[in-house]
Amino acid sequence: MAVENRYSSAVSGGGGEIYHLPEGCIANVLSLTNPRDTCRLSVVATIFRSAAESDAVWDLFLPPDYRDIICRSSDGPDSIVFSSKKELYMYLCDHPFFIDGGTKSFSLEKRSGKKCYMLAARSLSIVWADTPRYWRWISLPESRFSEVAELLDVCWFDISSKINTSMLSPDTDYAAYFVFTTKSRTYGFDHQSAEGAVGISGNERKTQTVFLDPEAARRHMYQIVPMRLGLLNRMADMLRREANPLPSESEAHARYPQQRSDGWIEVELGQFFVKRGQDAELEMSLTEVKGGNWKSGLVVEGIEIRPKEG
Amino acid sequence: MASSSSSSKTGLKKMLTLKSSDGDEFELEESIVIQCQTIKHMVEDGFSLIPLQNVDTKTLTKIIEYMKKHAEKTESNKEEIKNFNKEFVKGSFDDQFELVSAANYLHINGLMDLLCQSIADRINNKSVRAVREIFNISNDYTPDEEEKVRDEHKWAHEGGEFDESLD
Repeated sequence: MAVENRYSSAVSGGGGEIYHLPEGCIANVLSLTNPRDTCRLSVVATIFRSAAESDAVWDLFLPPDYRDIICRSSDGPDSIVFSSKKELYMYLCDHPFFIDGGTKSFSLEKRSGKKCYMLAARSLSIVWADTPRYWRWISLPESRFSEVAELLDVCWFDISSKINTSMLSPDTDYAAYFVFTTKSRTYGFDHQSAEGAVGISGNERKTQTVFLDPEAARRHMYQIVPMRLGLLNRMADMLRREANPLPSESEAHARYPQQRSDGWIEVELGQFFVKRGQDAELEMSLTEVKGGNWKSGLVVEGIEIRPKEG
Repeated sequence: MASSSSSSKTGLKKMLTLKSSDGDEFELEESIVIQCQTIKHMVEDGFSLIPLQNVDTKTLTKIIEYMKKHAEKTESNKEEIKNFNKEFVKGSFDDQFELVSAANYLHINGLMDLLCQSIADRINNKSVRAVREIFNISNDYTPDEEEKVRDEHKWAHEGGEFDESLD
């Protein structure tokens, strides 16, 4: 991105101070930082701001294949048109849009520009989902998708999905999150953990313990606190554990539900590092098939895949 | 271009002279110097003494060091070049800006990329105040304007500590 100045046109000064650098050089440096640094550093001085607005910078922050993704928009590519690359970038961060016939929504993570997807419940493989006695498809105003899956009653709770790693940003730590909400008559998950797993299809995938009951997080805290107290408390704790047996190691590494800003609840299923040039099916799953008890009352929005924070 | 290929055929190395803004002259092989697009154009226009009124001796010496090393680049010495690059970008910000300015003027793309990446790595996660000091620039916003620019991207100023160090 060298700035146009053929040898005939001498640059005045040429000293070391930044004001002698053409704006294009500053834009070049900013394009090698990240969107967050670029936006923050536009406060440094007016020359930084004008460099930080340039299309050359934001073109590099957008994913290289952003045009292809916009072409897959369910509303057509003409629904996403902006006069500057920066406006487009900000829009893609703040307005997830549907692709592939409304089965996924796509957005960018604002700080880094990495790709994020939400796979709609309809695009997931949910065992028994077509049997109205076990699952039912409903519309909810708070959902971004036209349909969500409501769990009526199952013993065999088994949800999985796949995404090709080439659709994700390279050299990035991703995590997959199960996005759901609970109804007042939710049962079967209060003392029963589920198994989350994320990994390449066909390879052995590491599983992690996942709690779907939002109350489980509070109980988990409560169990840890009395450890240092007296014998009576320790015994009470042991009794509680006996009544509610859980392998303590997996419990320590277990994932608990978190409230999201959009009103839904999420829990991490697992993490995965996407290598550059990798072209493989990434499989995500959430199962509870060991307890054998009946479970009910979850509403499934989908599975979100986004970069790990930090 | 045509002249350089014919001179290598005859085994004669065509020499060029670069003259810094301080008046110092450096004689170099044409094959080394044509990494620089601006000089390449001048060679094509028939120049053999090339005055560089925007590049002082100190900066030109560094740039020649870079061009000489990179002219030796082959498939087998990638690691050596990598280490050279790493050493080359060590030094004060002032020196680096001077080099960026010269690399931009001379159109040496490889050097531009190397320097910009190095500066970008060094200002990564830095605070606004630290970057002002590092770049030695005064804030030319009015307080109102600055507040407005800050408000435009509140999210970029939130969440976590920024690096206040000046190195």
